[in-house]
Amino acid sequence: MSRLVLKFEGTDLKEVPLGNAPVTIGRAPDNDIPIDNLAVSNYHARIYVEAGSLVVEDLNSLNGTFLNDLRVERAMLKDGDAVLIGKHHVVLDQEHDAAPPADAMRKAPAPRVNETMVLDTQERRNMLEQAAAIGERSQLYPERLRVPTLTVLRGRTSQKEYQLAGKLTVIGSSSMATVRLRGWFAPNVAAQINKHEDGYYLGRGDRVPKINGVEIGGPTKLNDGDVIEVGRVRLTFVYRT
Amino acid sequence: MNPPLRIDSGARTDVGCVRTNNEDSYQVEPQINLYILSDGMGGESHGEVASALAVQTVVTHCREAVESPATPMFGDLKPEVSERTNRLASAIHLANTKVYETAVANSEQKGMGATVVAAWLDGQRLSLAHVGDSRAYLLRAGMLEQLTADHSLVAEKVRIGILTPQEAETSEWQSVLTRAVGPQPDVEVDADEHMLVLGDTLLLCSDGLNRMVTDPEIASTLLTATSAQAAADRLVELANENGGQDNITVIVLHLSTKSQNVFGWLKGRRKTSG
Repeated sequence: MSRLVLKFEGTDLKEVPLGNAPVTIGRAPDNDIPIDNLAVSNYHARIYVEAGSLVVEDLNSLNGTFLNDLRVERAMLKDGDAVLIGKHHVVLDQEHDAAPPADAMRKAPAPRVNETMVLDTQERRNMLEQAAAIGERSQLYPERLRVPTLTVLRGRTSQKEYQLAGKLTVIGSSSMATVRLRGWFAPNVAAQINKHEDGYYLGRGDRVPKINGVEIGGPTKLNDGDVIEVGRVRLTFVYRT
Repeated sequence: MNPPLRIDSGARTDVGCVRTNNEDSYQVEPQINLYILSDGMGGESHGEVASALAVQTVVTHCREAVESPATPMFGDLKPEVSERTNRLASAIHLANTKVYETAVANSEQKGMGATVVAAWLDGQRLSLAHVGDSRAYLLRAGMLEQLTADHSLVAEKVRIGILTPQEAETSEWQSVLTRAVGPQPDVEVDADEHMLVLGDTLLLCSDGLNRMVTDPEIASTLLTATSAQAAADRLVELANENGGQDNITVIVLHLSTKSQNVFGWLKGRRKTSG
């Protein structure tokens, strides 16, 4: 027999057996699991069986329903899962169960979260902090502290040197180009450089550029000192200190 | 100086094989070369409300900005992208405010949200902005490149190196977004730009496509289609043939100078939502 256990700060407050009827949780006293706390909405969430699986559904509560610390609108539950509502936990305890229903066994493992939802702000912040910690380590990349620069070695261009300031740097005769090519047959968009999170990538335009003498396939990451050739122009990509 | 461009566009949305309502919205605005789609979320029919409002807000803001460049900007200006790209990001910031405020004013819509991916062309220069896990892909010289980085829990974990791409594909948390338009009072918008060249094909899609159809299938469909609309239709069919687990929306743009895609071109402005 499955049951739901209402816990508050480690203490079991209430046990509700799970049958086929939905179990409602909320501040209103007519809920199956009433929780007398202002952080809990009147009808906050419900837990019910759908296609042989237990599902928790948030009923548009003000403060949200969390499954294992992730905010959910609707999610499947498994044994031991803790649903956080306000400061109370509702824990699913299936250990007294006999074999699960045959129906449930036949089902392919379905994603537990089948409705798109957005991570709660706090959770996202935690994750981004984790990411930032890793990012800080990658700050050791010396490129980050230096200015990416294109220096013209050969060919007719508007300047001899260009510092890459934008996310997009176009090499061509187009008025939108940063590295303006001059001369009669200069291509409109010869090539382009796109800034990604991890560095600068050279991509083709109307021409296929070469890096260190080799034609690129798709967008290719530029390394310090690379020589770029496109049409009649040759440039070096360097991180200036 | 610039050669006259032809942009052949096609779009299609479909409820898929499993869901009963379509929460995606899209709009194609050839007059200003703006293409946008949005995948809504929220219980009942609130996802549809969120995605339609997001699309409408972005289109309106961009149209206003074309007519009157003094239209106010929303969100932080980023010096590393063009004014037009900043404008597109501004439109998404405004959409976020509108969806958020609508949800606050209507308690049953609380928490509703939407993804957005929008492409705005200025000649060959593409401004691209997105929030959430709807994607933009570029097919250039036969190679398919994903231009957007998903704002989903699994994708962000892959990027910071705490989850492998293989683990991400089978993760039960694939539907968890780290950013969306609407649920919070403010949102961070990713904005980027690219120079398109003749022969390029740009694809915008909701996750109902890329979860059902592999990148190689997408690439070969785009390569073999006779028009942008035929490509859009075929991609939706493929997603449904592979299970159609979610709503599917695709917008396909193909750049050429010739009028070989005259039929797709003549169809002109196609718009719908939900």
